Amino acid sequence: MTRQRLRIRGLFQKYFLVLFLAVVIPLATNGVSEAWFGYRDQRATLDQLLGVEARSAGARIQGFLDDITNQLGWLVQLPWAEEPDERRRIDALRLLRQVPAIVNLTLLDGAGRERLYVSRIGLNRTETRTDRSADEAVTGARANRLWYGEVRYYRDSEPYMTIAMAGNRPSVGIVVAEVNLKLIWDVISSIKIGETGHAFVLDRPGRLVAHPDISLVLRGADEATLAPFRELREAIGRAGADVATGWDAEGIAVAAAAAPVAGPDWTVVVEQPLSEAFGPIYAALWRTVGLLLAGAAFAGLLAYVLASRMTKPIHLLEDGTERIGAGQFDHRIHIETGDELQRLAESFNAMAAELAVSQERQERIAKLKRFLAPQVAELVDRTGDDDVLEGRRTEVVTIFGDLRGFTAFSARATPEEVMSVLSEYYDALGGIITKYAATLTSFSGDGLMLLINAPVPVAEPALRAVDLAVEMQLCVQKLIVGWQRRGYRIGFGMGLAMGPATVGRIGYESRFDYTAIGSVVNLAARLCASAADREILADATVAEAVEGQRVLNPMGMRRLKGYDEEFLVYHVAYAERPDAA
Amino acid sequence: MRRRDVLAWLGAAAASTLPARAQSPAMPVIGYLAPESPVPFESRLKAFREGLADVGYVEGRNVAIEYRWADGRYDRLPSLAADLAGRNVSVLVASGGAPSAVAAKAATKTITIVFEMGGDPVALGVVDSLSRPAGNITGVSSLSVEVSRKRLEFMHELRPTASSFGVAVNPTSPTSGSQVRNLQMAAEALGVQLHVMNASTEGEFEAMFLSATQAQAGGLVFTSDPYFAFRSTKLADLCLRYSMPAVTQSRDFPAAGGLMSYGGDFIQSHRRAGNYAGRVLNGEKPSSLPVQLVTKVELVVNLKTAKALSITIPPSLISGADMVIE
Repeated sequence: MTRQRLRIRGLFQKYFLVLFLAVVIPLATNGVSEAWFGYRDQRATLDQLLGVEARSAGARIQGFLDDITNQLGWLVQLPWAEEPDERRRIDALRLLRQVPAIVNLTLLDGAGRERLYVSRIGLNRTETRTDRSADEAVTGARANRLWYGEVRYYRDSEPYMTIAMAGNRPSVGIVVAEVNLKLIWDVISSIKIGETGHAFVLDRPGRLVAHPDISLVLRGADEATLAPFRELREAIGRAGADVATGWDAEGIAVAAAAAPVAGPDWTVVVEQPLSEAFGPIYAALWRTVGLLLAGAAFAGLLAYVLASRMTKPIHLLEDGTERIGAGQFDHRIHIETGDELQRLAESFNAMAAELAVSQERQERIAKLKRFLAPQVAELVDRTGDDDVLEGRRTEVVTIFGDLRGFTAFSARATPEEVMSVLSEYYDALGGIITKYAATLTSFSGDGLMLLINAPVPVAEPALRAVDLAVEMQLCVQKLIVGWQRRGYRIGFGMGLAMGPATVGRIGYESRFDYTAIGSVVNLAARLCASAADREILADATVAEAVEGQRVLNPMGMRRLKGYDEEFLVYHVAYAERPDAA
Repeated sequence: MRRRDVLAWLGAAAASTLPARAQSPAMPVIGYLAPESPVPFESRLKAFREGLADVGYVEGRNVAIEYRWADGRYDRLPSLAADLAGRNVSVLVASGGAPSAVAAKAATKTITIVFEMGGDPVALGVVDSLSRPAGNITGVSSLSVEVSRKRLEFMHELRPTASSFGVAVNPTSPTSGSQVRNLQMAAEALGVQLHVMNASTEGEFEAMFLSATQAQAGGLVFTSDPYFAFRSTKLADLCLRYSMPAVTQSRDFPAAGGLMSYGGDFIQSHRRAGNYAGRVLNGEKPSSLPVQLVTKVELVVNLKTAKALSITIPPSLISGADMVIE
C-alpha cells in the first residue's frame, strides 16, 4: 500500500516537474536572452551617450577658452604707434572686467616691447618698453598666432595658464594674458552627467585643471590626489570602442568617456557612477527577474492544477480497481475526461460488470452442484438459465438405496465407526452418481434417492438407471466385504421405478432442494424397502423399457406396503463379480 | 488594574528615554565667531548659510549654530573663541577677518577651524600651506589685503594732480604692517607721498579726516580691515562732511554714499566658508580642504557721490568698474 502511494506521489511529481519545466524553461531562456541582449544594447547606448556628453563637455571647456581668446583678439587689431595708447588701456581694463578669469594682461608692440600691463592685484604699468621678445609666450604666439602655456600652480595651489595671441600682422603686436583656471569651475560644475555624474579636465601630463570639487584642484600637483584621475583616463584609452569603467577619487565604480580640448591639449573626462549609468540595465534585469519569478509561480500553479487533474482520474482508477479487486463488482468508476482515461475507466466498468455476471454464474453453479451431477450443472449453467429447475411433470426413473441393518449397527458402534462407514459408503457412491449424471435429490443417514431424466432429460433413462443401480450395488457389496471382516452386519438393497412425477425446486431462500413428487417415488421407495441385501428390485415399467438389453427376472406379484393392489416386481440380474460382468 | 499597570510602565519607559534623547543630539553644533554685531553681518550670514545649504545643512533643521559676537571690541575675541572651544562645538567658524582666525587658532588645537579673512593666511602664520594646510585649520581668504595698493592706484587715477594721499590704518590689525609697506612701495612707483593715519576706534575717525584735510591729501585710502569695513556708513558720512574722496575695501561703503571700493567679494568668501564648514561636518579633514583664495575683486563706484564731491570719474575707471551706482 505504501509502495503504491509512493508510486502515485512519484507520478504527480513527474507530471508536475514536466509541466513546470515545459513552461519555465522557454520562459527563462527568453528572459535571460532578452536580458543579455538588452544589457549589450544598453552598454552600447551608454557608450554613445557618454561619448556625446564628453564631446559636449569638451566643447564647453573649449568655449570657455574661446571666449577668452575672442576677447583677446580685440586687443591685437590696430598697429602700435610710438605714443601711449589710452584707448587700448581702456579696452584692456574693460576686458579685465568682462573676463573675470584673466588676472592680468600684457600688451606688446610689434617689436616685442611691453607697452601696457594691467592687473587686478598688482599695479598697472604703461610704456615700460621692456623687451619681452625672448619670452616663450611671445615666440609661441609669433609662431602659431595663438599659444597656450603649461598649467602652473600659483603658490602650489591655484591653477594658472598663460595665453598669448598675436595679431594677423606683426605691427599690431601681441597680447599675453594670465588666466586663473579656477574659474573654469563655473563651467565644469554646471556639467552634469545624468543625475550624479560629472566631468573633470586633465592637462597633457595628467594634472587636474578643473573639477566640480574645487578643493581637489587647489591641492596642486599632488600625486596621490591625481593618481585616480590619471588611471581613469588610461582606462578610457584602453577601453577603445567599449564603454570604459574605473574608479573615481572616492573609490566609486564609474563609467567614463573622454574628449580632447584641442588648443591647450587637455582632456575632458566625463564620468557617471555605474550604479546610475547601469541603472536602466539593472532595472531591466530586475524586471526580467520579477517576470521570471511571476512566470515560475504561475507555471507552478498551472503545473499543480494540471498534474492534479491528470492524477485524479488515475487515483479514481486505482481506487476503483482496488474495490473491484476486493469483490465490489457493483462499483463503477466515474471519469468524464473525454480521453483515453475515460475509455480505460469504461473498460474497467465493463470488466467489473462481466466479473459480476461470472460470479453470479459461479454461485448458481455451486448451488446446482449440490444436487446435480457436475457435468449436468455445467450444462444447465451453459444454457444460461435455470428454467430446467422449474416445477413440471415428466417421466423419471427414481432410484432408492439404503443399508440393511445400519440402524442396529449404529446403535452398537462408536460414532467414529458410524461416520467411517458412512464416509466410505458415500465416497464410493458419489463417483458413480457423478459418472451416470444422476440427480441426487436427497440423502439421510444410510439412505439416498436419485433421479434420472430430471431435470435434464437423457437418452434411455431406464437403461441408465439399471446400469447405475448395478454398479452401485457391486460397489457397496465390495465395501460390505470389508465391513463384515470388521464384524459389522450391514447389507445394501435398492429399488427403482419409472413413471411420471412432478419435479422441481422446493425450499426457501438459499436452502433449495430439487426433488420429485409422485407415486413413482413412493413405489421406488417401497421396492427398496422390500429389497433384501444384494437385491435390486424394479417395477414393470423399468423392465419393459430395458427389455432385451438387460436381464430383469420377474419375481412374481408382491404386496407392497402402503399399496392396496399387488405389483409385479422384477429382480435385476447382475454378475456377482463386476470383473466377470 | 492590569491596564493601569501597563500605562504606568509605558510612562516610566517614556520618561527614561527622554533624557537619553536629549543627551544624544543628532544635530551638530557650529561655533560662529564674529568680530561685529549681527546687523552689519546680516549679508555675510546669509551667504554663509547658503554655503552650508550647498552641502545639505540648514540651521535649526540638521545643524545648530552658536553665535559669539565681539560687537566691534576685537580684544574680546580670544575669550569668545575660548568659550566656543570649551563648548566642544563640531566646527569653529572664525569669520570676518584675521583677528577672529588668530583668536580661534589660539583657542583650540583639536576642533577644526574654518576661517574667513582678507589677508594672506600663510603670511599671517595661520596656515603653513595653501594646498595642504596642516593642523586643524583651513578656510577662505579674499584678496582684500593684497589689493590695498590698487586702491591707491585708483585714487591716484582719480586725482592725478594730487601729490599726497592719506592712508587710514588700524594699528591693531595683524595685517597693518604689511599693507603699509605695500602702499609705500606703490606710492614710490606712482611718485606720490603718503600721509599715514592711525585709527582703531570710532572716536578717532573724525580726527583722521580732519588730519587728511589739513594735510591737503588728494584722497583717503583705507587699508583692508574689518573694523573699517563694518563702519562703512559712518565713514561715508564723514567723507561727505569733509568732502574727502575715499576708497575702502567693502562695497558697503559706496552703497552707503562713499565714493569707491575695491576689494574681494565677501559674499563669495562667506559662502565658501559655509561650504567648508559643512564639509567639515561631513567628516572631511582640513588637510584635504585647501585654503581657497577668492579671485574675484570688485570695483564699485558711486557716481552720485562723485558729483557731490565735484569729481569727474575718468573713463578708464568707469570701464573697469564692476558696479556703478548712479
